Amino acid sequence: MNKKQKELAIEVKGITKSYPGVVANKSVDFTVNKGEIHALVGENGAGKSTLMKILYGIEQADEGEVSVNGNVVQINKVDAAIKLGIGMVHQEFHLVPSFTAAENIGLGEEPRNSNGLINWDKLNKDVSEIAEKYGLDVDPNLRMIDASVGIQQRTEILKTLYRNADILILDEPTAVLTPQETDELFQVIRSLVDEGKTVIFITHKLREVMEISDRVTVMRDGEVQGVSETKKTSVKELANLMVGREVFLQVKKEKSKPTDVVLEVKDLWVHDARGLVAVKGVNFEVAKGEIVGIAGVDGNGQTELVEALAGLRDTSRGEILFEGKNIEKNSPRQRRREGLAHIPEDRSNTGLNVRLAIWENLIGTSYFRSPLSRGGIVSMKNILRHSNELRETFDIRSPGVTIRAGSLSGGNQQKVVVARELSEEPALTIASQPTRGVDIGNIEAIHEQIVEIRDSGKAVLLISAELDEVMSVADRVGVIYEGEFVEWVDPSKVNQEQMGLYMAGIKG
Amino acid sequence: MEKFSFKDILVLIAGLFITAGVAYAILTVTGFIPTDIAKLFYEGAFVGQRNILNTLNIATPYILTSVATVISFRVGMFNIGINGSMYVGALYAAWAGYRFTTLGHLSHVSLCIFIGMLVGALWMLMPALLRVYAGVSEIISTIILNFVAVLFVSYMCNGPFRAAPIAPTTARILETAELKQYFPNSEFHTGFFIAVFVAFAAYFVLNKTTFGYELRSGGDGLVGFYPSRYSSYLGIPSDRSAITGMLISGAIGGLAGAVIVLGNTRNFYQEMAFNQGFDGILIAIIGKLEPLGGLISSLFYAALKNGGLFVDYKTEVSREIVVILMSILIFFVSAQKIVSSLERFEFVKKLDKFFSRKVK
Amino acid sequence: MEWLEVFDISLFRSVLRSMTPIALIGFGAAMCSASGVLNIGLEGKMLNAAFIGVAASYYSGSALTGFIAGVSAGVLTAILFGVLSFNLGADEVLAGLAINIFAIAFTRYLLETLFDRRGFFSDPSIQGIDPIEIEFLKDTRFELIFSGFTPSVYLVFFLAILLYFVYYKTRLGTAIRATGENPEAAEDAGINTLRMKWLTVIFSGVLAGIGGTFLSLENMTLFTEGMSAGKGYIGLVASSFGFNTPLGTFGASGFFGLGDAIGIRLQGVYELDSRLVLMIPYALTVVVLILIGVRQRYRVRRVPIDISE
Repeated sequence: MNKKQKELAIEVKGITKSYPGVVANKSVDFTVNKGEIHALVGENGAGKSTLMKILYGIEQADEGEVSVNGNVVQINKVDAAIKLGIGMVHQEFHLVPSFTAAENIGLGEEPRNSNGLINWDKLNKDVSEIAEKYGLDVDPNLRMIDASVGIQQRTEILKTLYRNADILILDEPTAVLTPQETDELFQVIRSLVDEGKTVIFITHKLREVMEISDRVTVMRDGEVQGVSETKKTSVKELANLMVGREVFLQVKKEKSKPTDVVLEVKDLWVHDARGLVAVKGVNFEVAKGEIVGIAGVDGNGQTELVEALAGLRDTSRGEILFEGKNIEKNSPRQRRREGLAHIPEDRSNTGLNVRLAIWENLIGTSYFRSPLSRGGIVSMKNILRHSNELRETFDIRSPGVTIRAGSLSGGNQQKVVVARELSEEPALTIASQPTRGVDIGNIEAIHEQIVEIRDSGKAVLLISAELDEVMSVADRVGVIYEGEFVEWVDPSKVNQEQMGLYMAGIKG
Repeated sequence: MEKFSFKDILVLIAGLFITAGVAYAILTVTGFIPTDIAKLFYEGAFVGQRNILNTLNIATPYILTSVATVISFRVGMFNIGINGSMYVGALYAAWAGYRFTTLGHLSHVSLCIFIGMLVGALWMLMPALLRVYAGVSEIISTIILNFVAVLFVSYMCNGPFRAAPIAPTTARILETAELKQYFPNSEFHTGFFIAVFVAFAAYFVLNKTTFGYELRSGGDGLVGFYPSRYSSYLGIPSDRSAITGMLISGAIGGLAGAVIVLGNTRNFYQEMAFNQGFDGILIAIIGKLEPLGGLISSLFYAALKNGGLFVDYKTEVSREIVVILMSILIFFVSAQKIVSSLERFEFVKKLDKFFSRKVK
Repeated sequence: MEWLEVFDISLFRSVLRSMTPIALIGFGAAMCSASGVLNIGLEGKMLNAAFIGVAASYYSGSALTGFIAGVSAGVLTAILFGVLSFNLGADEVLAGLAINIFAIAFTRYLLETLFDRRGFFSDPSIQGIDPIEIEFLKDTRFELIFSGFTPSVYLVFFLAILLYFVYYKTRLGTAIRATGENPEAAEDAGINTLRMKWLTVIFSGVLAGIGGTFLSLENMTLFTEGMSAGKGYIGLVASSFGFNTPLGTFGASGFFGLGDAIGIRLQGVYELDSRLVLMIPYALTVVVLILIGVRQRYRVRRVPIDISE
C-alpha cells in the first residue's frame, strides 16, 4: 500500500493558462498519487476549474506539461482524456433526461450483438455489476427525468467508471446534495479508492476536505498556495491559505450611521429551480445608512435569496417586510416603485436585453413616468437627454446611446445596469455580484458609488462571492452557508482566517 | 431599437446585387435579354397610373401581413399562422358584409373590419395561451391552425354561409360594406390607406409608446425570445406581452383578409387562396422587423410582383421568377454569419461606428 | 348505421395510400426533431422532388431515372437547408419557410419555362412507377388487401420497423436522440452532434424526395402546382403527435390518412361534412401537445421544508 501511494497518477508541471485579461493558472505544479483522495480547494476564481478543464482536455494550457501514470501526454480533447482513464463529473450534470440510467451510462459505447444492434440486457447487467462493485445504488432502468439529484450524480460517476476511468475528477460534487446524500457519496468515494481508483475532489468546503481526503492542495489567484497531507494540517491553516491576505482592499469610507430599518426578513425559506430548499429560514435586517454584506461561496442560496427579495422567485415561507409592509406578493415593478432596486448577478440575460439599444435598457425602470413618457406616449427627446445624462454620470464608454447594449464591454454593460438602478434613488439597493467581470478601474468606481448611496442615507444589501469586496465595502457582513447564516461579523474586527472558517460552514 | 447598422445595409445591398446577378444569369440561360426584361419590369411596376395603382393594390395585404409578423416576432413569438387569421378574418368580414343590412357606409365598413380583426385575433388566442401556459411551441400550433383555417372556411362557405346553389361562395357583400375602388381601371381601394395607416400606427405604438416598449422588451430579434428574463426582472409581465402581441398580430392578419374581401373580391368563395401570410414573414425579415421597413419592402415586393405580371404577359418569362429572387434574397439576408463575418473588415467597423454616431 | 358502410377494404387501401406521403415526411421530421432540428422546410423539399421527378421521367422515359432525380432534388434542397442553418447561421424556421416559398415559385417557374404550362403538367411519355403485385398473395383473400400498391406504400411499413430498430436499438439511434435532448451529454460521449444533425436532415431530404415522387409518379403521373398541398407540414405535425418516435409517427400518419380517406369518402354523400372529419386529427394533435406541455410544467416537485434542520 505504501509503495503504491508513491506512484503518481497525475503530475502537472508549470501549467500556465490565461484568458483575455486574466491569468487563470500561473505555473501551477500539482501532483496526485495513485489511489488517494486528493482535495483541491480554493475560492471562486482561484483557478481550480481551469486546471481540471486542462486535465480533461476541455481547455489547452499555454505552457507546461501533464503526465499521467508517469508518461508525458498531450490531452487536446476530451476523448484523449477518457482514453487515458480520466473521468470527470461536472457540477452541471450532462445527462439525457428521457434516457434511463443505463442508456446514459452506455451512451456512445453501448455493447452490441453480432448483428450490430445494441444489447440492452448486457448493458443493464454491466451497469448493475459496476454499480454493485462500488456500492453505487442506481436502478439501470430509472429515467433521469424521475431521478433525484443524488442518483443523477451517481449515474454520472458510473458513466466514468463504465468508460474504465481510473482517475475521477469530481467538481464540487456536494454542492447540490443534501447532507444524507453527501454521506452516501463519501462512502462511494471510499469504496472507489478501495478498488484502486484515484479521486480528485474539488471543493471549497473545508469540513469535507478534512473528512474525506488523504492530501489537499490549496489554490488562490491561479497559484498553488500549499500542498499537505490532510492529517498534518488543520481547517484553520487551510482557511488561511485559501483566503490568504491580511489586508483587505481599502475603500475610503466613514463609519456607518444606521437609522431606520428598511428591510426586514423573517424566517424566509425559498426553493430553487430544482425544487430543493435553497434558503433555510434566514432572518436579517438592513437599515438606512448602512451597507449590509452577504459573504459566502457561490451556490449557498444567495441567488435564490436575492431573487426572492427582488420578486423574481416565490417564497415558500416567512416574511419580507419593506419599510414595515409585507411585499411578498408585490411584483418587481411594485417593489421598485416602493424604493427597492436590484442589480442582478446575471447581467447579460437578466439585467439587460442585449438586443436592445443602450437607451432602451436605461429606461427600463422609468419609461412609464414623466418626463420620459406622458399618457403612454414616450418622449424620445427627454429619453435621449436622460440616457445621455446617465451615460455621462456613470461614465458608460460608448459612441452613443443608440447602439446595442450587447456591443459594450462587460464593465460598461454593468455600468448600464448600475446607472438604471441607481437613477431611481432607491431606499434600498440590492447589488448582487456587482463587479463580476468588471475590470479593476471600474470596480473601484462601483464601490465608491455604493458607499455614496449609503452616505446619502440609503440602504445597500451587497451580495458577493468576492470576500475582499464584501469585507472592504460592507459595514456588517453575514456569512451564508448552505442557505443559512453562519455568523454576522463586523468586517473591521474579524480576521481572514475566521472568515474562511465561517465560509466553510464552521462556527466559532 | 438599434438603427440600421452599416453592415446590415451592406448585406442587404450585396444581397440585392447578387440576386440581380442570379436573375441576369437565369434570364440569359433561358434565352432572354436581361436589360430588356428589366425595362419591362420597371414599366409594369411604375409606368402609368394603372400600373402604379395595381402595384399599390398588390402591396395592400403584404403591408398588413408583414406588420403582423413584425409585431409577433418582436414580442418573441414565432407566429407562422397569420395566413390562418387571414382566412377567418376574410370569411367573417364577408359574413358581416351581407348580414347587417341597416347600417350606413362608414358604420358598416367599420363593423366588418372590426369583426374581421376580432376573429383574426381570437384565432391566435389558443396558440398564445398554449405557448404561455403549457409551453407548446407556437410554431407547431400555428401551422396546425393554418390547416384548420382552410378546412373551416371551406366548410363554412359550403355550409352555413353558402349563398349560391351553383358555387360554394358567400353572398356578395352589400354596397355599404364595400371599400371604395377609386379608378375604373384598377382594383386599388381604400384598403391601401388602411394598410399604410396600420403600418404607421404599428410604428408609433411599437416605438413611441410605453406599451410598445413593454412588448419589445420581451423579444426583439430574429429568433423567438419569449420568455425574456429581462422583462420579468423589470416587472413587465412578459406573459401578457406575448399574448397581447399574438392577438394584435392575429387581428392585423384578420384585417389583411378583410380588406381583400371588402375591397377586391366582395365575397368569400371556396377557391380563395391566400399566401400573403407566409410571404409577409419574408417581407418583414427584409424590412428588418420594423413596421415601416415592412411597409417599404412590401411596396418593393409588390412592384416586383406587378412588374413580373407585366413581363409574364409581354414575354415568355414566368412571373414566378420574382418569388424565386425574393427567396434567394432571404437566404442571403437571414444568414447571420455573413453579417457577423463582415466585422472582420476594419472599414466595416469604422463605417458602423460612423453611422451610429450620426443617429445619436 | 349505414355510415359504417364506408369502412371496407377499399377504404383501408385508400388509408394506406393517403398516409404514405405523410408518413414518409413524418419519419424525416421525427428524425430531425429527435436530433434537435425543427425542419419546416420539408414541404419545399417534397415539392421540388415531385416536379423534378416528373421532368426527369418525361425527358428520359424511365421511371427509375425520374425517381432518382426526384430523390436527388429532395436531397439537394435538404443540403441547401443545412448549409443555411448550420453553416451560415440562419434561423432554422426561417430557412425552412424560405425554402417552402422558394419551391412553390421554383417549380411553377420551371413548369412554365420547360413545358410552357400553367397549373399542371401531364403527358403520356411520363413513365410512372408501377404497383407491385405480391405473387404469394395471389388468389388469397389478402390479395385484395395488401397486393398491388406502389413501392412507397410498402416502404413506409419497412421504414417504420427499420427506424424503430435504429431509434431504440443502435448506437446511431441513441446518438441522434442524445444530440437532440442534451448536446453536451452527447459531445461528452464523443458524439459529433453537428454530424448527427446533418445526417437527419439529409435523411429527411431522401424521404421527402421519395414522398415527392410518390405524389407525382406513383398512382398518378402528373405534376400540379403546389401538389404537396401542405403534406410537408402535416408530416411535421404527425411527428409531433407521435412524440417524434418511428411507431408513434407511423400511427399518427395512419390517423391522418384515415381522416383523409374518410373525408374523401364522405364527400357529398352523407350529412356529415368531410371537412369536419378532416379537422379531427388536428384537434387531437393539439390535445396531445397540451398534455405534453402540462406534464413538463408540473415536473418540478418541491422538497418539503424541514424546520427541524
